[in-house]
Amino acid sequence: MSITSALSGALSGLSVTSRQAELLSSNVANATTPGYVRRELGLRAAMLGGTGQGVEATGVTRNLDRHLLSERRLALAGDGDRSLRSTLLKRVEDSFGSPDSAGSLAARLAAFDQALVEGASRPESRARQQAILSTAQSLTAGFASATDDIQQARINADRQIASEVGKLNATLTQLQTLNIELRSFSGAGRDVSALLDERQRLVDSISAIVPVREVARDLNQIALFTTGGATLLEGSPAVFGFTAVNTITPETTLAAGGLSGITINGSPFATAGPSSPILGGTLGALFAVRDELATKTQGKLDAVARDLIERFSSAGLDPTLTPGSPSLFTDAGAVFNPLYEVGLAGRLTLNAAADPAQGGALFRLRDGLGALAEGPPGNGTLLTALRSTLNLAAPLSSIGFTAGTRNFAALMGDLHSDSSALRLSAEADQSFAATRLTALTDLEAENGIDTDQEMQALLVIEKNYAANAKVIQTVENMIDLLLRLGA
Amino acid sequence: MTRVSLGDASLTNILARQGAALRAEVQSASAEVTTGKYQDIAQALRGDVSPVLAIDASLARLAAFKTTATDAAFQTAAQQAAITGLSSLASGITTTLLGSRDFPTPVQVNSIAADARGRLASAVGLLNSQATGRAVFSGMATDTAPLGGSDDLLAALELAAAGSTTAGQVSAAVTIWFASATGYGTFYQGAAALSPTPIALGESADLFTTALDPAIRDTLAGFAMAALLDRGILTGDAGERAILAQTAGRQLLTSEDSRITLAARIGTVEAQIETARTRNASEETALATLRLDIGSVDSYEAATRLETARAQLESLYLVIARVSRLSLVEFLR
Repeated sequence: MSITSALSGALSGLSVTSRQAELLSSNVANATTPGYVRRELGLRAAMLGGTGQGVEATGVTRNLDRHLLSERRLALAGDGDRSLRSTLLKRVEDSFGSPDSAGSLAARLAAFDQALVEGASRPESRARQQAILSTAQSLTAGFASATDDIQQARINADRQIASEVGKLNATLTQLQTLNIELRSFSGAGRDVSALLDERQRLVDSISAIVPVREVARDLNQIALFTTGGATLLEGSPAVFGFTAVNTITPETTLAAGGLSGITINGSPFATAGPSSPILGGTLGALFAVRDELATKTQGKLDAVARDLIERFSSAGLDPTLTPGSPSLFTDAGAVFNPLYEVGLAGRLTLNAAADPAQGGALFRLRDGLGALAEGPPGNGTLLTALRSTLNLAAPLSSIGFTAGTRNFAALMGDLHSDSSALRLSAEADQSFAATRLTALTDLEAENGIDTDQEMQALLVIEKNYAANAKVIQTVENMIDLLLRLGA
Repeated sequence: MTRVSLGDASLTNILARQGAALRAEVQSASAEVTTGKYQDIAQALRGDVSPVLAIDASLARLAAFKTTATDAAFQTAAQQAAITGLSSLASGITTTLLGSRDFPTPVQVNSIAADARGRLASAVGLLNSQATGRAVFSGMATDTAPLGGSDDLLAALELAAAGSTTAGQVSAAVTIWFASATGYGTFYQGAAALSPTPIALGESADLFTTALDPAIRDTLAGFAMAALLDRGILTGDAGERAILAQTAGRQLLTSEDSRITLAARIGTVEAQIETARTRNASEETALATLRLDIGSVDSYEAATRLETARAQLESLYLVIARVSRLSLVEFLR
């Protein structure tokens, strides 16, 4: 009977349009939900016995651009990596002090130089001796606080690694659970869009930590690999291992065994270099901060501190010093040992013999650190010599910093310039990575919900619904007409 | 059907990002306008901050040289004043002493001797003078007066000239004592000369003068010879006393030359210090200008930037207001 077919066709139209309205309302409601992908109802003409029988929904499709998604995830990892590096380098630069501020290492050095000049002119003045002492202490304090800042950055990185690893492990476990749910729901033929959205959000959240490649498997399953080749999720999740430490000193290194590396399912993996599978995201950057960037900077600072000590302990500078006793600047009160340069900047202290607070006496700045009694009060010879040793162009004996023959102020200037240049170049890298991420995020957002378009669709749905209802009404009239014929 | 759409979030993101960028620009430009300092000096200098650091260090050093040059100038001025004082003490008595052989009575020799003794005390006092608590003729022993009292000096000389019967013997004994390391050399309580004091970059003023300077020794010797007469040397021999007084006058006359030479040498150092001060001052001005040039924001440029960013931000707000009203929902009522 074709009239009843018309009725059922119109009914199918009504049911499909209500389903469309349902999806549309979900789209509009989630217009600003991050990670929500627009859904659409697939339609086809229903066929039964070779004739049309109305319309039929084929299922819900998610409008997802997989290529864009995977590119955006890689960009997210790259951005995380670059921003951590540039943040660290900025922090290092700040720890040396802004070059145009009074607290910078260079400004502290200039103040020390100034005090030495003034002291040489009036060696008998206690006030000027005190100025030499306090500016020298401020210089050593500058080295110490820069060291503290750098080591604090390493501790923070270590703790952050622990938290990132924890997050990675937890997320991989959740992803495995979702995979299992998706398998059973997909098998039952149900709408799994919400689960897919959730899984996508979880993968996004770890793709900042390590750059992730997602590989689709049957029944809505996915496997995850890092771009470096480590398996994160293939049926069962990988388990990352890491142990944070409580304290980090300049001597604590991964190579010396004081710091934890990373293990995947119990086997250790490299955290740097071409063979490491975890590079490219925040995790790799944190390892780089802890084991490479901060350590290198510390090395440069130590090289400069060493140069300061060596300048002041050059032979013949202070005739009252017996060989083997520490000069004005000491390695924690003792003579500097060239084999133990690491962390010297943090141990740099002023010789106690010249510091009244430590049982020394100020006159030793003028008369020599080994002087037993005060000499002629107007003797500025040693102070002049101390000053000229700072301004002497001397080769750098440490290999921690760019070699060259320069005076101490120039060396300090190079230290500042070096940290600024590194920071600027890292920031340039970071801004490139950020721009790429922004561009891809914008593209993704363009594929998102367009409420104008949804409203247009709503008008169409409304019209279709009314039309289908009209068909039903008309069919009813037709059937009524037939029934009245018999009456 | 190909979907033609643009997600709502896309526009929101772009507008938010542009707004944030413009607000950051406004913030940095306004800070630069108000402080005159670069928000990021390293970026302004493209990473090489050495020039600014070098200038700052030079400015700090110039400030130190300002102090040291003043110190040195003070020291030389005090020395110069003392030498001028010595010269005027000497010139006031030289002529009288030279004419002592023509004195009609021995009493006049006695009175000139008393005058000489007073002048010797004044001369020692001048040499012992302090500038800002610093003995200026003691060399490195700035806390010690260079010489003892004039009476001690005369007592030591009397000992040295004991047994002398002629004016020639006395004057020879005095000259030897002043030249000797065990005589005047031990009477001098100061130390070696001051080490050169820095007054400009790579330049030092040599503050070499101590009470051991020959010009000072010769002058003191002249006063001392005459002063010994007052202590009663060669008593009873009026002729020899007059000769000794004349020898003292000659000694003071010849020492005049060396005092002038000494004053000229100190004057050279004073001139050097003065030149250095002038040079330091002009260098400071030049460096300060250069510092402003490379290390400070051009406030006109920063203000222009601020104004541009402000205008852009206002336009953006206008766009946001217009665009957010542009929705189909508004028209479907």
